[in-house]
Amino acid sequence: MRDVAVIGVGMIQFGRRDEDSLMDMLAYASLKALDDAGLGDQSVDAVYVGNMGGGAIQHQSAIASSLVDRLSLLPAAAETVENGPASGGSAVKNGLLAVASGYYDTVLVVGGEKMRDLTGWRATDFVATMTHPTAEYIYGITLPGMAGMFTRLYMEKYGVTREMLVAVAIKNQDMGGLNPYAHVEMAITKEGIYDNPASIVNNPVVADPLHLYDACPVSDGAAALILCPLDKIKNPAKPSVVIAGFGQATDTQTLQEREDPTDLKAVTLAAQQAFERAKLKPSDIHVAELHDAFTILEIAESEHVGFFKKGEGGKAALAGKTKLGGQIPINVSGGLKARGHPVGGTGVAQVVDIVWQLRHELPKNRQVKNAQNGLTVNFGGFGNNVLAFVLRRVQQ
Amino acid sequence: MKKEIQIIAYKCKKCGKLHFPFHDRCLACKSRDFEQVRPAGNAKLLTFTRIYNLPWGFDQRYLTIGVAEFENGIRAMGQIAVDEKYDLKVGQVMEPTWAPVRYEYDEAVYGLVLQPLA
Repeated sequence: MRDVAVIGVGMIQFGRRDEDSLMDMLAYASLKALDDAGLGDQSVDAVYVGNMGGGAIQHQSAIASSLVDRLSLLPAAAETVENGPASGGSAVKNGLLAVASGYYDTVLVVGGEKMRDLTGWRATDFVATMTHPTAEYIYGITLPGMAGMFTRLYMEKYGVTREMLVAVAIKNQDMGGLNPYAHVEMAITKEGIYDNPASIVNNPVVADPLHLYDACPVSDGAAALILCPLDKIKNPAKPSVVIAGFGQATDTQTLQEREDPTDLKAVTLAAQQAFERAKLKPSDIHVAELHDAFTILEIAESEHVGFFKKGEGGKAALAGKTKLGGQIPINVSGGLKARGHPVGGTGVAQVVDIVWQLRHELPKNRQVKNAQNGLTVNFGGFGNNVLAFVLRRVQQ
Repeated sequence: MKKEIQIIAYKCKKCGKLHFPFHDRCLACKSRDFEQVRPAGNAKLLTFTRIYNLPWGFDQRYLTIGVAEFENGIRAMGQIAVDEKYDLKVGQVMEPTWAPVRYEYDEAVYGLVLQPLA
């Protein structure tokens, strides 16, 4: 297997992009990544597109075939990868394996989603189609609802409090306000969303015990990267970053069939595999992008990947250990909570953000000082299909 | 007339693991041999949520949904028939019923509806 480097990255601002089609967004992010890689008018060998809803939302299938045509990348191999909210991570994995195996030398990976074409009512239903059709979906369960049930259990078992969830929300929205690619640019205060009589108006319950500011927004957006073998890079213009390890694991589709529903086994396994392949451990990681579709998930994942012991993640967030400058900065981009969550794009965007961190390209107020190793976790379904990537800056 | 709970769980004949919903192979031992088991008795609430941002198909203000475990160990999701002010608790024993949980093209779709024991 060959070492695989990320030689180009690109992202467009997430949010509500009424003026752009899904294909526009995928093309814009791809062109940015091609330019960042210095490929200019060159082509690539293969394209992997992470997308969940092109068929269901835009009534457009075979997205990858359309994209290579639009970008004049013919006759590159191309396919769309659908894996729910982990579609982006799965597209990165496919690109990684394709280059590592030696089959392809230059691969474009792009992930994106256009969700704001739907009303909130329809978007909630679209995401809920990931649940089991007869054992869950028919009841009207939503992903915030799944997270609400999970949160109640996690609070009871580990003593997580609303104040801890609020600390995550404030941290990530503070960081989103500094990120030009973020969907949510509005800073929030504890008084505004938690300990004030008006907070119930500002921050209503969406899925008890979770409130509005515990959840990520519904976003449009896209992100892209270019992969190639590390040994093909000659005189790099930018510091090289490799995907040093990846892991992927699955779990039962329904929460009810997990022996302990608070145990996110797929997160633990995916992270362990990624660390083993990278020959690194959680304490070697300097920056992480975790899948905080809900604030509770950032806390739970920070424990399951090994940054903190079970029951300590919430306390760590409250103590500021996961802020920029803290013990392990998590979601410096703003995470899904503030950067946004265009479902097929998130897994790619997480990798792009870590590449920027490891290249030391971000402004001081967002850069983790001297970051050498980073982790991403892309969480599909309600933790039933999870990908983790460990990235490493190559010492020149 | 009270409708029978139409949940069928699957008990592995080799290792005894109980499954709901159906799997083609046992999650514990990979066996393909199951016996059908119906839920028995009341159900203890394991967790729940009240959802205010409902999906398409639900034209109401909120829905209360939970996961409960029947007396013979079968776990299932269901709607919970309580109003917004009802103080629901984890561990509460619920009476299972089989009732409409949504409507598709004006046709009722039946499912598990849990009610607090009187």
